[in-house]
Amino acid sequence: MIRVKINPIMAKNEKLSRRFFLKTTGVLTLLAAIPASLKSAYKQVKDFIVIQKKTAPLTISVNKKAYTLDSDTRTTLLDLLRENLALTGTKKGCDHGQCGACTVHVDGERVLSCLTLSAMVSGKEVTTIEGIANDGQLHPMQEAFIVCDGFQCGYCTPGQIMSAIACIKEGHANSVTEIKEHMSGNLCRCGAYNGIVESIQKVATS
Amino acid sequence: MRFFDKQNKVIPEGRVEAVDKVTGGGKYAAEYKVDNLCYGILVDSTIPSGSIKNIDLTKAQQVKGVVGFVTHLQKPNVPGFATEDLIKQSRFGLPIFHTDKIYFKGQPIALVIAETLEDATYAATLIEVEYNTASFQVDFDAVHHNIPLQEAGRERGQIDSWRNAPYVIEEEYNIKSEVHNPMEMHATIAEWTGERHLKLYDKTQGVNNVQQVIAPLFNLEKENLEVVSEFVGGGFGSGLRVWPHVLATVMAAKQVSRPVKLMLTRPQMFTGTGYRPASWQKIKLGADASGKFLGIHHQAKNETSLYERFSDQITRVTRLIYNFDNLKTEDALVPLNLSAATWMRGPGDCTGDFAIECAIDELSYKLKMDPVDLRSKNIAATHHPENKLPWSSNYLLECISIGAKHIGWDNRSPMPNSMKDGDWQIGYGMAVGMWNAGRNKTSAAIKMLADGRIIVQTAMTDIGTGTGTGMKNIAHETTGIPQDKITVELGNSSLPPAPSQGGSTGMSSVSGAIVEASNALKLKLAEYAALINIDFRNLSPDAILLSGKGISRKENPNETVTYADLWEQNKLDNVVVEATSGPGEERKKYAFCSSAAHFCQVRVNVKTGKVKIEKLVCIADGGKIVNEKAAANQMSGAAVGGIGMALMEEKLIDAKIGGLIGDDLAGYHFPVNADAPMIDVHFIGKPDPYINPTGAKGLGEVGIIGTAAAIANAIYHATGKRLRNLPITPDTIVG
Amino acid sequence: MKPFNLIKTKDPKDAVSQKKEQVQYIAGGTNLVDLMKKNIQLPDTLLDITDALSRQVDNQGRAIQIGAMTRNATVATNVMILRDFPLIAKAVLAGASPQIRNMASTAGNLLQRTRCPYFYDVTTACNKRKPGSGCSAYDGHNRMSAVVGYSADCVAVHPSDLCVGLVALNAKVHITGKDQKESVIPFQEFHRLPGNTPHLDNNLPEHALITSIEVPENLFGKNCAYLKIRDRDSYAFALVSVAAALHLDGDRIIEARLASGGVAHKPWRWLQAEQFLKGKRATASTFGEAAKLVVKDLKPLTHNGFKIDMLRGAVETALGQCLLD
Repeated sequence: MIRVKINPIMAKNEKLSRRFFLKTTGVLTLLAAIPASLKSAYKQVKDFIVIQKKTAPLTISVNKKAYTLDSDTRTTLLDLLRENLALTGTKKGCDHGQCGACTVHVDGERVLSCLTLSAMVSGKEVTTIEGIANDGQLHPMQEAFIVCDGFQCGYCTPGQIMSAIACIKEGHANSVTEIKEHMSGNLCRCGAYNGIVESIQKVATS
Repeated sequence: MRFFDKQNKVIPEGRVEAVDKVTGGGKYAAEYKVDNLCYGILVDSTIPSGSIKNIDLTKAQQVKGVVGFVTHLQKPNVPGFATEDLIKQSRFGLPIFHTDKIYFKGQPIALVIAETLEDATYAATLIEVEYNTASFQVDFDAVHHNIPLQEAGRERGQIDSWRNAPYVIEEEYNIKSEVHNPMEMHATIAEWTGERHLKLYDKTQGVNNVQQVIAPLFNLEKENLEVVSEFVGGGFGSGLRVWPHVLATVMAAKQVSRPVKLMLTRPQMFTGTGYRPASWQKIKLGADASGKFLGIHHQAKNETSLYERFSDQITRVTRLIYNFDNLKTEDALVPLNLSAATWMRGPGDCTGDFAIECAIDELSYKLKMDPVDLRSKNIAATHHPENKLPWSSNYLLECISIGAKHIGWDNRSPMPNSMKDGDWQIGYGMAVGMWNAGRNKTSAAIKMLADGRIIVQTAMTDIGTGTGTGMKNIAHETTGIPQDKITVELGNSSLPPAPSQGGSTGMSSVSGAIVEASNALKLKLAEYAALINIDFRNLSPDAILLSGKGISRKENPNETVTYADLWEQNKLDNVVVEATSGPGEERKKYAFCSSAAHFCQVRVNVKTGKVKIEKLVCIADGGKIVNEKAAANQMSGAAVGGIGMALMEEKLIDAKIGGLIGDDLAGYHFPVNADAPMIDVHFIGKPDPYINPTGAKGLGEVGIIGTAAAIANAIYHATGKRLRNLPITPDTIVG
Repeated sequence: MKPFNLIKTKDPKDAVSQKKEQVQYIAGGTNLVDLMKKNIQLPDTLLDITDALSRQVDNQGRAIQIGAMTRNATVATNVMILRDFPLIAKAVLAGASPQIRNMASTAGNLLQRTRCPYFYDVTTACNKRKPGSGCSAYDGHNRMSAVVGYSADCVAVHPSDLCVGLVALNAKVHITGKDQKESVIPFQEFHRLPGNTPHLDNNLPEHALITSIEVPENLFGKNCAYLKIRDRDSYAFALVSVAAALHLDGDRIIEARLASGGVAHKPWRWLQAEQFLKGKRATASTFGEAAKLVVKDLKPLTHNGFKIDMLRGAVETALGQCLLD
């Protein structure tokens, strides 16, 4: 293996890091999951003070219904919907923007609610899976998912449907290949991709 | 409870639970509204081996929303874990919060309970743990050589008799560990509804299993523990066991005397709910010049945890598909500092089948024989090759010939590395899969209301397989009552008991119970009808017809006793029948299997290593297909799982750190929509005559058993490069 | 997540004046929120700048100015970009998912942190996350890691696709400093190599704010390609990626641009290969020679030796694809 040239200071650091690894016996104290940057900040404060939650006033419209509340600044739009507003149709599949199960529309565009801080959508219009049927009449995409059996376990389905509606609106439903690419931000572990693509084709061509 | 009960006529035809799923109305485990609920978050060990020296909660305690903690030092009483012996007897696995030992990195060692999810999550990061560390081993590839093999099942014939076979393939196969990763992360809400009463909303594939595992740990009467799992966001095997976090949530709810909700994080899904263990295999396969198999020697090892031994039974499938007069199978377990492995879709067989089907493919090229012909020649088409019982039904040969037509096998040039399109090389591959078709004892009930509507009930869960819809279809077919008068209730332990949904036994098991219950309903109603019209006395179920309005006889279908009359004359409330059905004498006379043939066409870019699956064809014999749409969906979904197994899925383990890295859905790849072609699924569709009253054999496993081999074989045909290790990522193509 | 204050600002000057230690700008949040959830970034205060800066693409003659808050999706569909700078749209569309592209800002894309799994796992050593702790990837799982420009302290790669397109087109980063002065950093100099300070990803002065990205006039509107090789077909980070652009006169190459993602701590330009291509005929053999030049000085780690062959193949293929347009 070829290594790039290391200057003397770096070599010294490298030795330190090796020692870190070799320390496999004896007592090792670790903060459960806190990186050094935070730990050093704590060290500067003699008596450790735990920062308590901060709230921010939030006015938000979800499915055309206005909500005004004080929200923990840490609360994501996903947790706000599921835990605070009892709108559990939006799903948590990874909580890190890696699966698309939490897809909702904000001001008409598909976004990931798990990476959206609720305080940052104040004043915006949020639409979730609970808000697309009209007076009890299912949205055509919901009907298509039923007819084409575009799901199995159903957990990714709300995200798929919200994404599918946007996929057509964005003009990306012109071929199987295009639909597949523009629906690839929504993982389905059951692998119901046949039915998902057929559902979108059905709506796009009707 | 009446959750599959939508009667809106504008709704298009689909699954019974379809509306709940497309509107977000269906409740998954973490979504029930429970008063006074608080949130739990598990804290994981950051070391792979050793013991806990100290857990310091002082900082975490300062978070104002924190309600309590559970650790091995502060915990409520769990009578079933009171002594080391009891823990062992419970066979629970990891004795969570009842040991200071660390078996693996990621082991749950503390639980924080807080008023909000945000504060629980934050407080969990403030817990400080001191460990005594010890040496560890997590590297399967590095150590499996040191573990000796043991005989796995009886040897057939003699290994020495074919040592000098004219055509021999002897190769090794390695498959990385895969993780189920259902889209819904496992979650539990535990609510003690009384001192001796517990209610669990749990993501599981079997509510009765949860009941049977948890109730004795707390000395609860089984019926005082209600387990609800009405919607299950995927399982693939991860929900077949009761994992430590379920017990942790029950303990937490006891500790703080409040209902507690706990949802695992995605990284915790990699260590908390099982995985398909990494495996090593060696196959020695011999044939004569005509292609007749002379013998097979199959050796396999799989990784397992240090606190329980899990065998994936990789060599089981070797005894199932083909005629081998001489067969020897051996296996071994390789214990590592990892969490417990478990069954994952097509458990064992999926792994073993990959090696066998690749070896057979390799043999076909050596013999200069078409892989289709070589398989067809050796498949045990009439009898089970091990116990010699006749198959109740086995249409694998038909699957193969239909599959060959669907993929256009005739377009394939026999030589590898011979079909090209610019930088792309084109290849065709195939493989077969088979699975023992099982059936378990299951109960179901039917409740008829005065207006002629019926509710069909069982405790079985529907994990997306279409169980509920199948139940409705079978009840409709057996009773004659129209679909729109049938609703389904399932996934609750207070309903008639049922086995877990797994191993492709769900439909096979429940269908018999629904048929029996349907017949019981007919007889019961005929009994009441006989009090009005004597002709209804002593009829067999076949002679009885039910409709939306009333009961009649096959002999004279126009003469109907209406339900209204039945109810009035007999002063009935609801009519409830319950029936239990399970395997019987037929199991001694016949062998049972589901099977499938998988065909694949790939394009491989040799410059960039990209593999594109152009076509994937899956032809299955699952007996009677109770619901064509859902069954095809399940098969194509399994094929997508097979693409993942073949091309991308790999749980990454760092041998130096002693644990997983990239343990999320960005680091662990499974197929996105673009990775899968539109998958072509076809069924033989002939009911099995003996397996159960409906003839449905089950499909969940055979959809994935063989897919990865078909893909690997197609890649070989495209490139001439034989890749025996999974996953086949782009680097392995260019490298 | 550690509790924090959230302040919204509508003015870039105000944003800069409020920025200090433990205060972090937030725009799309697609990377920062994730890092905060993972306890990797722990700000006391977030400054929401989404309404403080432009979210449009403006033309200035034949150059364009992409506002810092312009969404990735907007970049991918902007008519000027599609007409004159298609390489940028192609690069953007190769990254992330439609949902993330609707959220992520242009400036944020430049500032996203590496996806090295050790950086993301706070229980492991990582010099980028915790200076001095060591590099777990150097002799760990380094399949995705760098093959050029790394140091023993850090082998992480920059994850962006957009930046690969931007570096190929000689973009410029417009910033406002803590002193409220505006200045410009050439894109090639914006990101850093790790050296012995891998915790620094780039040369953006402390507390400075990216206000826009300028892409100068270019002649690569016709023959360009972006090729990304990854473990799945979409929604995955690159094993290697190649941005290729040719300015042709008939089959003669007047000028070429070649850049890669997935190979270094910064979006990487293959200047020697570009120089080689200049004046040559656009043929498969020319492209093959250029690809050889690209890979000749790569120094793979223990598990990413495949990147040599893969990159060579990807460069050849991408250059070939430039001719298909």
